[in-house]
Amino acid sequence: MDKIIYAVTGNNCSQEELNSLVKGISGISGSSLYALSFKNISITVSDFSSSKFVVDKEMAIDFARIIEQLSQKLTLLPVRFGTFLKSDEDILKLLTDHYDSFYNNLIKVWDKDEFGLKVIWDYAKGSEKIKEESEKEVVKSDTYFSKNTVHTNYLLEKIKKHKLEDALLRHVEKLIEEISGFLAEINPECKFKKMVSNSLILDGVFLIEKDKKDEFIQAIGALKQQHNDLHLLLTGPWPPYSFVEIDQSF
Amino acid sequence: MQENVIDQSKDITILEILDRVLNKGVVITGDIVISVANIDLVYLGLKLILTSVETMQQRHLSVVKPNHPQK
Repeated sequence: MDKIIYAVTGNNCSQEELNSLVKGISGISGSSLYALSFKNISITVSDFSSSKFVVDKEMAIDFARIIEQLSQKLTLLPVRFGTFLKSDEDILKLLTDHYDSFYNNLIKVWDKDEFGLKVIWDYAKGSEKIKEESEKEVVKSDTYFSKNTVHTNYLLEKIKKHKLEDALLRHVEKLIEEISGFLAEINPECKFKKMVSNSLILDGVFLIEKDKKDEFIQAIGALKQQHNDLHLLLTGPWPPYSFVEIDQSF
Repeated sequence: MQENVIDQSKDITILEILDRVLNKGVVITGDIVISVANIDLVYLGLKLILTSVETMQQRHLSVVKPNHPQK
């Protein structure tokens, strides 16, 4: 029987208490979860027979549901979906060999939740406004080229496009500054991806202390009121998926 | 105020869940990891679903709780 791994958890209770916490939760194949521990951290697993089950979208969603249930009871590091190992011995070896890395990540996310914020806009309207502003600085051919030819016109268009992209990026950076200002008192750890696509101009994740959750949601609500031209999509609280920094071959 | 901000959308919750379980978290690779048949195809298929995040553009949404859909 193979094993599927769900999460690395930090334990502030005895092994017996931990087992009783996880035992009531069914794994994706219906088998009960159980925890394998080393010192004060554990890996939560369940038996899994890959020949009996189809790995699909529903299973991935179910996997997330189990991690969500665990996160309500324990501080954890979610493991990426689809991680199967052969035996409990392999899992224990993984845990002991990489204890420090797991432990340090757990400390970082202790008693914290993740929130996601996607900022979406109407590209046509938004970029037109930015374009007007960026074109206040007139791009003239003779600034760059001594002659005006088909080739130089083409290059001039490229320069204008580049300037627009620069202006869009500056606009997003200004928005990040504004968000940071709104969240200054909460002071979350955050990560941003800028201009993910024409529509999705900002994709941010925040690691928030659990007791500052309401404050955070209120701050985003206030930000939203100031930006009727943007769609702010706030999701959470999530287990700290985006703040795990363990990606290596074991 | 919080209740006014909170909204829930099953579609977007699913996209956010899939994005996280497929792309984030602890990544374990190496000899000890078993390769399960069709997992790569599942990943490929699910990552295509994620591109539909663009359809959110026309929606006016605020906060979505990760309220996992029932099986």
